[in-house]
Amino acid sequence: MTDQRPANPLEMIAYVLAQQIKDGEVVYIGTGLPMVAGILAKKTHAPNITMVYESGAQNPIPGAMPWSVGGPATWRKSPMILEMSYSFGQLYNGYVDKAFLGYAQIDMYGNVNTHMIGGDFHNYKNRLTGSGGNNDLSSLAKQLVLVGLQSPQKFVKNVDFITSPGFITGGNSRKEAGLVGGGPIAVITSAGTYDFEPESKRMRINSLHPGVSPELAQMASGFELLKPKGEIPVTSVPTQDIIDILRKEVDPRGVFTSMPS
Amino acid sequence: MGKFNYNKEVLANLRLEDKDTHLLDRLLDYESARDAHAKKSHAAIDKRISLKEAITEYVKDGDILTDTGFSYVRTPIAAYFEIIRQGIKGLQNIGSPATNQSYMIHSGTVTHTHWSYCGAEMRGTDRAMSRNVKEGRTKVLSEWSHGTMAQGFKAAQLGLPGLYSKQLLGSDLLKYNPFVKVVDNPMKTEKDPCVFIPALYPDVTIIHVHQADKFGNAKIYGPIVNDAAIAAASRKVIITAEEIVPPMAFRNDNKGVVIPFVYVDAVVEMPYGALIGSMPGLYYWPRRMWEKVMRYWAYKDGAMQEFHDEIIFGCKDQFEVIDKLLGGSKWMANAKRLTKAEEYDNEDEGVDFHYKEWTRDDPNLNDVTDQFK
Repeated sequence: MTDQRPANPLEMIAYVLAQQIKDGEVVYIGTGLPMVAGILAKKTHAPNITMVYESGAQNPIPGAMPWSVGGPATWRKSPMILEMSYSFGQLYNGYVDKAFLGYAQIDMYGNVNTHMIGGDFHNYKNRLTGSGGNNDLSSLAKQLVLVGLQSPQKFVKNVDFITSPGFITGGNSRKEAGLVGGGPIAVITSAGTYDFEPESKRMRINSLHPGVSPELAQMASGFELLKPKGEIPVTSVPTQDIIDILRKEVDPRGVFTSMPS
Repeated sequence: MGKFNYNKEVLANLRLEDKDTHLLDRLLDYESARDAHAKKSHAAIDKRISLKEAITEYVKDGDILTDTGFSYVRTPIAAYFEIIRQGIKGLQNIGSPATNQSYMIHSGTVTHTHWSYCGAEMRGTDRAMSRNVKEGRTKVLSEWSHGTMAQGFKAAQLGLPGLYSKQLLGSDLLKYNPFVKVVDNPMKTEKDPCVFIPALYPDVTIIHVHQADKFGNAKIYGPIVNDAAIAAASRKVIITAEEIVPPMAFRNDNKGVVIPFVYVDAVVEMPYGALIGSMPGLYYWPRRMWEKVMRYWAYKDGAMQEFHDEIIFGCKDQFEVIDKLLGGSKWMANAKRLTKAEEYDNEDEGVDFHYKEWTRDDPNLNDVTDQFK
């Protein structure tokens, strides 16, 4: 029996993320939704991509969803596995086309926080995981795609800690800081897709998911979202064929794509 | 010992005073690291001793200890437990990732942290770590990214004072890392900010490997992560190995041999030495046990003592963990089956990765999958 339900918000994110990947690219993948998106792209429109992981693994064959970041799912039958320092070196040297990252907080310039929420460095509400590879990818990636849920707690005026620079304070500030990577090209959320206005480098609505109005998207943001000229496009939704591949072949146990009950 | 010039603002941000900078010096001190390396026996001799002896001899109060492997993959966790059992105190912890320090803080084993990542991986924040830092049970001495910490270890392995990086720029990590400085690329005509990352020299490293010979040559299957670099940098190196092979084995097949014996001080034969983590090619995680760590032992204040009582002191070694808590020989067979299927060395079609998640109502730690019962 085919499951006919439309894509849930996480499946929608995975699909939209997969659409960011072009065939033949090398993509640097974080565990979680980016991994689902990478495998979905590989099984649909982009069979010739190479996925690389923080564990250093290159191009594993798809299998079950991982239980842990360094686990076999990220290096299943990889032809080679690089040491960590060499793995990040691929980004600086121009071999990685796109990188995918999550965020706990993000601001209008695409600066990302995965360090701490509320208060200051010593007296916070919650200490988070720290950078991991987040800062490395955001510093070096030619094109960076950020992904996560959207709410006023996550889309904030000022992030509590800049773990990973986006466009810093906008304009040319990223370049002036000496960063070589191009910065974020897209933010993919549960409400829509965003890009960055070329001059100010502020986040701008690119498309909104079906049923999401600009007002609703704005209500789920702590800063003003710029609007594109003209009508705001509706994000295209996955066909039933693609949803089937996602549910049957990519994440059959719903590890990353089933909604928490 | 060399003298080092730390950024005063960063020290203030970290609430470190001038009298505290001795805590930082050893990580940078090339001279004492070189002396330590020079003074070791450089002869190929039999270095095998017991785990107890290795920890007593080579891990001292206040040392800078690395976390190796990757989180809970090929990490010498059974050796970390022995460090806790021996009551060693006041260690600094460094590694990317360095997730295992979390349960070592409770006992005062780890009191200082060099942070690039500490969390519950796909399950998000490590709540015990969040409380421990806030309440001052461990003090953060530096903030890193994975890549820049890896560069520090790699610089040491390459025999360099340090290297220039293009990471960390424009981030708040620069405000909380006393070991790095923004400098201009001297070869460029236009302004080109870079970050100088010094070579990093930990005091003691334990690396769990698949095979070692009695001299300390060591072979790894799966991700090496930073371990080849850390082994070269560290003043003292203990290898724990699933198997001890004759030296001839590596002459016949040197694939995956990444640590040369001369770095190594002690070799410990330790099957299942990565427990309670996983070992590529050999065993999968005891998943219910980790869930209890994240959802219960780390979740509420005071519960970590139960983890120490039940797992670290309630079991004298990794074999007792298997026999008393996980399901004995059946767990061993199941753990091997799951890891080999996920790696696709064995057929994975028909292998069910489903297991019952740990809950307070179903507290048994035995996590043999339903299919294999």
